[in-house]
Amino acid sequence: MMFVMYPPQQEENIYIRQQTQAWRRSGLITEEQLSAINEHTDIQLRRTNLFFRLLFFVFTMLGAGAVVGLFFWLLDFKDADIIAVMLICFGAAFYIAAEYLAGKYLFYRHGVEEALVVMAMVLFCAGCGILLSENHLTLTQLRIVVPALLAITACWIYLRFGFLYAAGISIVALSFIPFQFNLSPAAERIMLFSVLCVIFVFSLLADKPDLEDFRKNRYAKIQACLTTAIYLTVNLQIMGLFGLISMDRHAVHLNPQLFPPSIYWLSYVLTFLVPIAAIYWGIKSRKRIIITVGIVMACVTLATNKSYLGWTRYAWDPAILGIILVGLSLIITRWLNSGVDQRRFGFTARNILKPEEGGITPADVAAALTPGVIETQQPPAGAQEQYFKGGSSGGGGVEGKF
Amino acid sequence: MNTAKLLRKLRYEKKLNSGQAELLLNLQERRIFSVLRELRFFLYIGILLIITGAGLTVKQYFINLGDAAIISALTLCFAAAFVYCFAQGRSYERGEVASPNIAFDYILFFGCAFYSMDVAYIETQYHLLGELWENYLLISVALFFFLAYRFDNRLVLSLALSTLAAWFGFTLSAHRFYFENYYRLYAIAYALIVFCCGVLLYRIDIKKHFLDIYLNFAAHFLCIALLSGVTEYKILSLYFPALLLACAALAFYSVQVRKFLYVLYAVIYGYIGISIVIVDQIHRQTFFLFIYFIVTSMLVIGLIFKLSRRFKENQ
Repeated sequence: MMFVMYPPQQEENIYIRQQTQAWRRSGLITEEQLSAINEHTDIQLRRTNLFFRLLFFVFTMLGAGAVVGLFFWLLDFKDADIIAVMLICFGAAFYIAAEYLAGKYLFYRHGVEEALVVMAMVLFCAGCGILLSENHLTLTQLRIVVPALLAITACWIYLRFGFLYAAGISIVALSFIPFQFNLSPAAERIMLFSVLCVIFVFSLLADKPDLEDFRKNRYAKIQACLTTAIYLTVNLQIMGLFGLISMDRHAVHLNPQLFPPSIYWLSYVLTFLVPIAAIYWGIKSRKRIIITVGIVMACVTLATNKSYLGWTRYAWDPAILGIILVGLSLIITRWLNSGVDQRRFGFTARNILKPEEGGITPADVAAALTPGVIETQQPPAGAQEQYFKGGSSGGGGVEGKF
Repeated sequence: MNTAKLLRKLRYEKKLNSGQAELLLNLQERRIFSVLRELRFFLYIGILLIITGAGLTVKQYFINLGDAAIISALTLCFAAAFVYCFAQGRSYERGEVASPNIAFDYILFFGCAFYSMDVAYIETQYHLLGELWENYLLISVALFFFLAYRFDNRLVLSLALSTLAAWFGFTLSAHRFYFENYYRLYAIAYALIVFCCGVLLYRIDIKKHFLDIYLNFAAHFLCIALLSGVTEYKILSLYFPALLLACAALAFYSVQVRKFLYVLYAVIYGYIGISIVIVDQIHRQTFFLFIYFIVTSMLVIGLIFKLSRRFKENQ
């Protein structure tokens, strides 16, 4: 029995078909050529489109949740150990059902088997958590064991089914563990940084050049997640940035003050090095997602730079960052367009592959929200008159009537 | 077999000509790597940051800067953007028109956002129209519609439709989120107007590719308004059959044009509406609640499964 659920050639064929559909959309191949490619890439796995997948996922979760709820409501267990065992049993049952659907009926990214696996993971970890808490494990130990268990089960699901979000859950669960040892903030960060770097190195070692294309694509996404996690670990001002966005003045400088100066300035240097390394590596290896993540991290570095240096923030700071982004985008476009055949080192700003149309895009949604944002940014009516009353604008607080 | 091997095989079998195979191999092995999507993304983020920064600056420093400086700066910005677009833009066509350059769409959007900011500032500070200030929104809507169609810009069309929603009374301010009866009826009216406009323009063959934006706005406003009605009056009103009808129409349209996003909307809104009514009818009895969710979720899964099998060739 293979460890992975789906035959690699089938997954590779799906990847090939996705690409060829993009080529057809962009007019690079004809309908006959697409059919010829499809003849060579037979797919037995049962797939569905994104929207049906979402519906299958949501309603399977709902149904499975209701089954568990009904069972516990009917039998009204009082003993925590029995509850834990029943949760684990339900988890096992859902997992077997998912394996059965994927194995027998060849469900692939179909939503149903995904929801069952996710439910299985949650119920299994919850059951184990209750069982361990009832058996003399302290709260601190439990806070370590449960995330570790979640990380392991999610990792198993990723390796078996190839769900990328399971790998993401595994990384997030693992990232919780260093914060449960009552270490100093610096030690927590160093430990987390080390763990993430080790996983990152493993992912690099696994990403061999002779791998199938779909696997390379999957590794690129995991590496992008890990790079982001590493960046979030090294940037001590991220929490402050959240505080700034939520206008919570106390949160702005809360976290970084807990770190010794050496760690603080090392993290400052790393906030520049990580994005630079990611962009360089992304360009060198032509990994689109790594380039995008690198540039987003670079923007966050610029946004947190003033906080690191203790400089005053101004209302126009976002506009300056925006001007930098617009300027850079235009300069790069111009530079690429002026190359031979509108290309430089293989990079081009030409529209080669047409994206799939999904009805409405996130850009349209952002544009639709703009009037609301503009409305919230208006100064209050008559604020100027109020400002000059009461001497708050100067004059030692002297009012007109004085 | 991977993509590169397959392409080489097809070239050998003469199913792909050598030029085509060369281009596809270059794309596959990333010897040609288009960064257009990334450049557009960062350009758009940049424009949104500029708009945010400008808005925050006006809000925080309007006293130091003074009205004249703010109004003239904002006016200058949007006027420059509009002048640029009229000077550089391609001529009007009924169908899709490609942008003359990568920045064009965003410059027009930037101009519209600054125009909104300018008008909002003038009205907030000077109250030129007094009680009738909301009519400014209608002027903005007309301008944005004109610009969206003139320059074939989806972003500005979204801006126009959300500004029209603001004229109907829907804004991001928290106190306007209550779906009282007043707003519910306005939401339905808004949705119907948007839907009719979209369909009419589609029928007379003007920018047919904009239809999805109209339908998305109309579907969400209509379904949320009807859902709020169902929440308040349960089964004893026209809201419930109207919601079912709307969801059925959405699902039917979705299946007809094979755009399954609308099936998602129809199922989610329809299920929530039906659940509100049924849960009310069974008086929140726990046993029946669980049974209801088990049975209905299985029914929905079965229904979607049948639908997905029907469109297997499209997947």
